[in-house]
Amino acid sequence: MEIETVPSESKPESNPLPPKPKFEPLKAHEMSDGRVQFRKVSVPPHRYSPLKKYWMDIYTPVYEQMKIDIRMNLKARKVELKTRQDTPDISNLQKCADFVQAFMLGFDVPDAIALLRLDELYVESFEIKDVKTLRGEHLSRAIGRLSGKGGKTKFAIENSTKTRIVIADTKIHILGSFANIKIARDSLCSLILGSPAGKVYSKLRQVSARLAERF
Amino acid sequence: MIPSAMANSTETAVESLHHIKSTEPPEWLVPKQELSQAVRAASKLLFSSLKPHCPKSTFDQLLTEGFDAEQIWQQIDLQSQPLLSSLRREVKKFEKHPEEISKFKDGGVGGGEKKKVLEQIETDNVVNDDDDEDDDDMDMDEDEDDEEEEDEEGEEEEKERGTEEESENEGEEKGGIEDKFLKIKELQEYLEEDEAREFGLKKKKTKAESKKEEEDTEEEGDDDEDENEGSVDDDDEAQEEEDGLGLFDGNDEEDEDDLENARYEDFFSRKKNKSSKEKAKSRDMLEEDSGSDDEQDVDKRKNGPSKHEKELDKLRSKIEEMEKANLDPKVWTMRGEVTAAQRQKNSALEVDLDFEHNIRPAPVITEEVTASLEDLIKTRISEGMFDDVQKARTSSSKAPREIKELDESKSKKGLAEVYEEEFVQKTDPASAPLTFSDELKKEASMLFKKLCLKLDALSHFHFTPKPVVEDMSIQTNVPALAMEEVAPMAVSDATMLAPEEVFSGKGDIKEEAELTKAERKRRRANKKRKFKAEAAKRMGKKARQMTTVGNNDEGREG
Repeated sequence: MEIETVPSESKPESNPLPPKPKFEPLKAHEMSDGRVQFRKVSVPPHRYSPLKKYWMDIYTPVYEQMKIDIRMNLKARKVELKTRQDTPDISNLQKCADFVQAFMLGFDVPDAIALLRLDELYVESFEIKDVKTLRGEHLSRAIGRLSGKGGKTKFAIENSTKTRIVIADTKIHILGSFANIKIARDSLCSLILGSPAGKVYSKLRQVSARLAERF
Repeated sequence: MIPSAMANSTETAVESLHHIKSTEPPEWLVPKQELSQAVRAASKLLFSSLKPHCPKSTFDQLLTEGFDAEQIWQQIDLQSQPLLSSLRREVKKFEKHPEEISKFKDGGVGGGEKKKVLEQIETDNVVNDDDDEDDDDMDMDEDEDDEEEEDEEGEEEEKERGTEEESENEGEEKGGIEDKFLKIKELQEYLEEDEAREFGLKKKKTKAESKKEEEDTEEEGDDDEDENEGSVDDDDEAQEEEDGLGLFDGNDEEDEDDLENARYEDFFSRKKNKSSKEKAKSRDMLEEDSGSDDEQDVDKRKNGPSKHEKELDKLRSKIEEMEKANLDPKVWTMRGEVTAAQRQKNSALEVDLDFEHNIRPAPVITEEVTASLEDLIKTRISEGMFDDVQKARTSSSKAPREIKELDESKSKKGLAEVYEEEFVQKTDPASAPLTFSDELKKEASMLFKKLCLKLDALSHFHFTPKPVVEDMSIQTNVPALAMEEVAPMAVSDATMLAPEEVFSGKGDIKEEAELTKAERKRRRANKKRKFKAEAAKRMGKKARQMTTVGNNDEGREG
């Protein structure tokens, strides 16, 4: 960042003050003393091949719409993001980083792209053991309860609460707006604690109806 | 004829008796006619001889012809039983008072003949004893078939003796006053003895006394002998009784019943005692308190109860009854709550119990009832007025609330699209894309229209297809709040596309016929250009795809 110092001349008070300088907002590129900003997102091994498959879908919106440089460091198994000079907003980098991170967690690209488009979307992660300590078969059964037959319970929650859920073994990730995340989390927690799916459905219905009514 | 016959019969009977006596025991084992005849004759004789002694005998003569042994025995039995009992009594009497025999003998026969009599009696007794012994032996030894005859024989011999003795002793008489209880001679003797004891002198022992003593001793000795022999007591007693009978024959008839046969009634006549007892009672009553009873008794005894007394009696009895009833424990029906254990079994069945029935009693079905029912049914049918239950229809004023179905399948839209739709719906409700249900409805209606068109074409001869007019008005599921806006955009025409918006062309539009040649050419040229541009674009895309593989086919696109 270059600071233009205005030489302060000691003039008599009869001289009016010089006009205030107009500073353009700082570009992302200029932030942090003109240094380039990086973000590095590590790629877990199970997401390696999907990354390869959907690379272009990831690359295109990031590079062209967000104006962030993106590349894959194969040796380090990381995705690196860098601001360009014509990056409009510094938050773009963060958004892209979140987008890539969401993909790495397990979300699909069309779902993760919502992060780029909307501001208020967040990803929340928690583990089953945070809710209730389960071991062995109980844990397996809890996971089964969460997803349901063919994933129908999970989809039901996703559709009714407008969120996306990823169940990765014992970790659960929820993508959506704050209120929706809360509802989804409550229903998932009740499922972990042992309530049957029907009960969860009825609650979901009530809540979603209430949500739909107000705006 | 008869007495001679009788005398002959007696002789023959006696002969037969002797004959029987002479026969030896073994001969009795086999039934023989002559023996039986002899026995019958003998028994007849004995029977007739004994008859005067028994006052109650039913038969004058022993009937033997054509009669069974059993029957003959029964006849004898009839006579002998009362005879035997009386004889026993006499014998017992003589046992106790042996002096009487001698008295009678003295009275009748006299002193001189006494000894003879005594001797005879002794011999007779001895003979009788011997005979008795023989008889007894025979009785014991012989068979049952001959027992009757033997008994008859024994009895015959006894009766024979009895008759002999009776004939001897019939003349005697007895003293008038003396009886069992009061014997003056005994009294005299006792007094004399007492005096002698007092004075120390024993007075004269008269011959009679000595003889009496002898007789007593002899008789006692006889008695002892008899007793010691152990023969059947009945026979001995029978003898003594017969002796006594001979002596007493006249006495029984002469003596007064009161003295000899003194009974309870003589001493304790009930009538006399009754009166005495009643008097005692009355005295007691007076002493206690109830004088009325006495009076009543007295009156009763005097007149018979009067009306007033009768009524009073009734009252009294009633009062007594009631008092008694009051004292007794109450009948179970009057006792308040009674359980089954406190009353007799089945006692509740006998009583008419009254309790409240809370149920309406079942109607008694009579012909009238059924007739009335049938009339009612008929009238109802004719009128058509049935009591059918009408279904209450729920008023459909409310629109059916749309239930949001939980979609359990993976959403095809991405999350971004979802939020996009949501946003759009918030800001611009009209332009919101159709919901799932609306799309389904649209599709369904389209299908149906096509089907109808085909069917109409098939069914009408002059079929004119209706012009397809797309006038579907889509009702979007818009939140109520949007409808309540002042200028509801959903209703306004602003949402509807204007004709110029529908029309995607430029400038004037002319019909095909109106076009000039130059304009037609221009149109064709434009079409061609468009087509070419599109084709080029398509080829460019393909080329890009091909470059990844690594194809050098630029020449083809040309």
